[in-house]
This record gives sequence, C-alpha cells and structure tokens, in this order.
Amino acid sequence: MGNDVTRRSFIKGMAVGTVAGYFASAGLSSTVFKDKMLVVNEPPKVDIGMVKSLKVKVISETSWFSNKVLLDDLKKAGGLLVNQYEIPWTSEGVKEGFQGNNAGGFSTLIDVELMDGSKKKILLDTGWNPVWMEKRYREEGIDKMLANNEIDCFVSSHEHFDHYWGIEALTKYNTKLPIYVPKGFYQDGFDLLHGKAFPKAKVKNDYPHIGKLTVLDSSKPNMIYPGVALLTFDVPIITRVFGEQAFVFNVKDKGIVLVTGCCHMGIITYMEYVKHHIAGGDKIYGVQGGLHISPFEDWDPQYDDLVLALHRYGIEKLGPNHCTGYVTAEKMLAAGLPLIKGTAKNGSKRDIYLGNGDELKFA
Amino acid sequence: MKNEHLDILWLETRNITNLLKQPYRGIVGLLLSFSVFLGLWWIFMDPRGILRWYTPQYGYMYIRWLLIVAIWQAYIFDFWPFSPKWMETTHPAQKGLILTGLNFALTGIVIWGFFYAFMGKLSMPYLSWPELQKLGMTDFFAREYSSLAVLMFAAIASWLSPIWPAAFENYPWHGLQQPAKGFTVFAFTFLLTTYAFLVFMHPHYDVLFYPWQIYTAAFPWWYEFAHTLSGNFNVGWIMCGTAAVWMVETIWEKYPFCLIKTQPLRGIAGFFWILFVALLLFVTFVFMQDLVWGDSIEGAKRIMAPDWRYLHTGELAVMMLAVALVLYFYFDNWPRKFSTEVNLLVRTVIVIVSTFVVHYGYYAVSPGLLGTQAGYSHPQQFPMAPVILFIIVMLYHNWFMDGWPGKRITKKQ
Repeated sequence: MGNDVTRRSFIKGMAVGTVAGYFASAGLSSTVFKDKMLVVNEPPKVDIGMVKSLKVKVISETSWFSNKVLLDDLKKAGGLLVNQYEIPWTSEGVKEGFQGNNAGGFSTLIDVELMDGSKKKILLDTGWNPVWMEKRYREEGIDKMLANNEIDCFVSSHEHFDHYWGIEALTKYNTKLPIYVPKGFYQDGFDLLHGKAFPKAKVKNDYPHIGKLTVLDSSKPNMIYPGVALLTFDVPIITRVFGEQAFVFNVKDKGIVLVTGCCHMGIITYMEYVKHHIAGGDKIYGVQGGLHISPFEDWDPQYDDLVLALHRYGIEKLGPNHCTGYVTAEKMLAAGLPLIKGTAKNGSKRDIYLGNGDELKFA
Repeated sequence: MKNEHLDILWLETRNITNLLKQPYRGIVGLLLSFSVFLGLWWIFMDPRGILRWYTPQYGYMYIRWLLIVAIWQAYIFDFWPFSPKWMETTHPAQKGLILTGLNFALTGIVIWGFFYAFMGKLSMPYLSWPELQKLGMTDFFAREYSSLAVLMFAAIASWLSPIWPAAFENYPWHGLQQPAKGFTVFAFTFLLTTYAFLVFMHPHYDVLFYPWQIYTAAFPWWYEFAHTLSGNFNVGWIMCGTAAVWMVETIWEKYPFCLIKTQPLRGIAGFFWILFVALLLFVTFVFMQDLVWGDSIEGAKRIMAPDWRYLHTGELAVMMLAVALVLYFYFDNWPRKFSTEVNLLVRTVIVIVSTFVVHYGYYAVSPGLLGTQAGYSHPQQFPMAPVILFIIVMLYHNWFMDGWPGKRITKKQ
C-alpha cells in the first residue's frame, strides 16, 4: 500500500497521529485526569494511645569499625546481593577493630513510661559481634537488666548481620525474653535464634532462645503497649534481607516520636506512613536511630533529595546515628536541620551525632 | 536522491532458509537463547554463581557495553572486517563463536582501554575505577561509581548509535565503503553520545560527590520538574528511546516514516517519531506506576522515590523491547497476513500485553532463577541487567548465527 501514499496524505496522517497521540499522553498524565483516577481514600487513622515519657539510650551504633574492610568483604563475596550468611566476614587482624574483629553492632535501649505510671524497657537490636556487645551491655548494665528480667521485650528491627547476629549476647543472660521480629525473616534467622551456627559467616548462638517469638506483618500498626506501636515495612534490603520494623511513640504534650534500627524503608516513607495512618501523625516531634542514608560514607543524588525534603516535616528533635553516615550528618547540619550532637565516646568516632552511651529524652 | 533505500545492511540481504517449521522454530530458538542467557548469567553475574560481577554496577556495566558493541558490529560496521562471503559461508556456530569472542574483546577494550586508561585518567576520574581508587575512594565504591558512569554512557549510546543506520540509513555517508562508512558513522554517533552524556548525565556527578562539584558540572537542571537530583530521570526516558528505536525497526517495520521516499527527511521524521514514542512510553509508564503505587514522594526511597519510578520506566521499556524482539526474531514478526496497519496494531497489542506478563513473571521467578532479591525496588539491583543480557544473547543468535539451528543462511543466487 506504500506506493499509493502521497507526501501530502502522509504528512496529514502524521500530523493527525501526532496530535492525537500528544493529547492522549498529555491527558493521561495531566493533573486533572490523574487526580480523577488517583482517588485516594484516606484510611481511618489508628489511635495508638499515649505515653508519658520516652528515653532512648544508644548502647552501640558502631556496627563495624572499618568501612574499607567491610566493603572489601562484600566485594570479594560478589557484591551487595550476596546472602549475608554466605559471606566470610573479616573477624581478625583489623587494626581499627575491636580485638582485631571488624564486627561491632547496633543496639538501643528504650525506656518508656506509660500513662498509668508503669515503666517498660525495650531492647532494640542486639548488634553483631557478641564479644563487643557483651562489653557494651556490661558497661551500660544491660547484662544485669536482662538477667533480672528488667527488660520487658526484645525487638529485632531486621535480620541484618550488624543488628541481629549478636543475639548470643542477649540469650546468654535471658533465653526467655519475648521477641518481636518483622515478617521477612529467613529460616536462617530463626535457626540462629534457636542455636544454629553458621561457620562461614562466623556467627553462632550457644544459648538457644526458648521464649515467645512473635512475627509482625505489615497489614496494620502492631500495638506493643498503649502509646507504643511497631510498623513493619516489606522492603528488600542488601545481602538478601527482607523486611524491617520500627517504632512509633505518641508522647504526651510533644507528639509522635519515631525510633528506628536502620530505616531501610526510608525516613520519608516512614513519616508519610505515620502521617496517613496514625492519629497525631501530622506532628512528628522527634526521630532517633539509624536512617540508612550513607552507611558506607557513599553517596547518591537521591540522598540529597532526602536531605532537602526533610525540612518539610517540621521535626524538632533529630537524633540519627549509625547508618545515617557522617556525610549525611554534615549535610543535615548545613541544611539547618535540628541534629542532636553526641559525645564521641565508647568507640563512636565523631560527636556529630549520637554515639555509644549517649541518651536522648523526648519528654 | 530518489532511492527507496539508501543503504542496506548485510543483515537485510541475507538469504535465510527455515530448517524447522513454526512454532517449533520459534520455541527452539527462544529456548536456546534463554539457556545461553542463564549460563552466562550464572558464570558472570549471579550472586550465587562463579564470578559474581553483578555487584551490581560492575557487571551491569559490561552487559550495557556488550549490547552497544554488538550494535556497532552489526549495524555500523556491517560486520567489517569480515567479508560478506565469509559471513555467508562460515558455519553459524563457528561464526557465532568468533563474532561473540570479538564482541567480548571489544567490550573489554572499551571499558579498560577507552574509559579506565584514557578518559578516566585524562579527563574525568569518575570514568575510571583505578583513578577513583588512587584518589582515596574505597575499592568497592571506586568500582561501583565508575561502573555507573560508564554504563550511563552506554545507556545513551544504546539510543543514539542505532538511530543513524536505522532511521537515516547512514545518510549522508551511505555511499562510502566499509570501513570508512563504519568509522564515520561511529565517530559521529559517538560524538552525539558524548554531548548527550555531558548534558543528561554529567550533572548527576555534580551532586554525587561531596562536596558538590559546582565548578565542574552544572546543577541537575531537571530537579525543578523531575523532583529528583538523580540522573535516573534521564536514564528512564532514554531507555524508552532505546526501546522505541528497536520497536520502530522491528515490529513496526519503520512505519509510517518509511513511506517518505527521500533522505534526510525520512531520517528526521524517524528521529522525531522515535523521540515522541519514547516520551509517550515514559509518561505512560510513570503514570501507570502512580496508579498502582500512588504518587511518588520527593525524598522518599525505593518504590516511593521519584528517581526509582523513572528508572522503572526504563526497566518496563526494556522488558517491552525484549518481548518485541522475541516476536520479531523467533515468531517471524507475526502476523504478516493483514494490511500493514493491522499487522502493526496486532503486534503492538501482543507486545503490550506480554510486557505486563513478563513484568509479573520476572519478579515472581527472578529471586530463585537469577539470585536477585525479592521485591520491586531494591536499590542495588536493576532488572535491566538480566533483560538486556537476554536481548544480547538473542542478537548473538540472530545476527551472528543467523538463527541456527532453526534457520540457516544460504548462498545468494
């Protein structure tokens, strides 16, 4: 049929097609049309109740001591997608390490006073290297609290090596502590909890947990105590980890406070979820914990998007550390965000944000 | 300038004889390509496999460049220095091995020679793994950052390199002989690619390093309307452009601009048509993601991040391209029996529907099959990598091996 088409008819056809196509695409993506198709039914907000006061103590935010050693381990193993239990992590001969071991760990103690005056202690994460974690636990009195049943529950933010593999430092003192993990834990994670060793990754647990274990999913906010909820996010994470959970507290006279382990879901996504699903979520008073922005002091322009967008949320107390990264902290300070400084003691390298042994009160 | 076709590629002049009937020919060819793809993925990329280069950027970079080099070999150099006679008489398996070996070797030379030892060393260090290392960056990120830059160059080349032979039929150099024609078109399209890289990607590196390199690169000019500083905005629409070039070339048979009888008008119309299709795919894919996952949020990560949504438009476009090439290479561009318009429409519908099936299937099986992480928006994995590798294997099979054993080249009378 091609030979019958004249230049005039071809140009006419092209013009009609182009114009029609343009309006079709512009129509599809126009705000008016989009708004009509993207009708968002705001779900009813969940009232999680209220707490009187909240105190967060950083037990250890130094997950590893040498970025270079950790990244070399990852590179040798095949990059960021390799199963963490299959990586032969360096545990000897690291100059900056603890007793030569590059592994440290992340762990936080949360002290919360409920409205009826009762107090609860929650341990968030157990770090990586049990020897380092035990040292930090002893220095902060966590070992005695565990042994004396003063800690009410243990919450694992996610299955990553630096947040969970130090479980032995906890079960050594208390094998019956109620545990909450997010949906997404692999069988390996449960096996470790119950005493299995993973020699290749140099991780073990000689004190199997025998207490109650609860797996929390992302279908709704999971209430722990009145005024205290856990939110689970179905996020894929490096080294084959899946799923992370983080805290929401509603602090009397202050507002919502978010406490995270590593925040792989992203702090903006986390805050947006709270804003749309939790009563009082419009006012986020404080944020504490790892924000997973530049954990290896690496960078991506997307992280600048985040730093620039944080202003819009009106956070009054910002206490990040750990995987937030020093570069991010410097950028946050330059952007005028209310970053809370630390004391750079107990192994934390800089005082630019909260370090090991530092405490932050939200009431 | 009255010629219907100014320049005809060797690929278009091949006499191909079918050795198997359909659908067996298509199924056998597809299974063969997919098996080779799985083997290559396991050897070079799989995080559980042998070399584990999918770290992810390092392996992804090689995949990107294998594609560009294959396009250079077949479309720009028309298989020079191999003679048409050699191409016609050599056994497909032997020919495939030699041309694929050359493809691998040239890819290595481009990356290690042109980028690492030349461009990265003497112009922009971020184009070289060893140079970034020398500047004090950790080995892992020196490799990942430089790989990202080098593969972004390839992303643009995958759009611009084939445009000249496909749309402009190498005008105004169509009269030259190889290798003069190949080197001229190569130099010209590479120059265009370099300009495009400087405009669309270099600003990404202004903000990638700390502090911002404001005297070296422009601030990402797309930030105000794209709501991200990431160059993924440009990667998204440019990959839609790559898909558009090849869909125009294959399932759409260059229609309708093939009806224009003169160059460069045909090429200009083709170029803008490809650009238009690219932008249409881009806005449509962005909109579809908004419908499924809700509006993206500035500053958010992963599935809610604007930059990931843009990147995912490119991923969707590449899946669409893979489906189009399967239809073209293995199922004889079915249907062919209706009018051109109806044929094109039916193929387009098949490709659109199949794209969504492939999208669903990819995320359902890739963790087990390819060793990738479950979930849509893992920040360190790119479905484009395996899908492009599969496309490359299809190109090896159909360009370098004439579709053997389902087909075989025969001598021209």
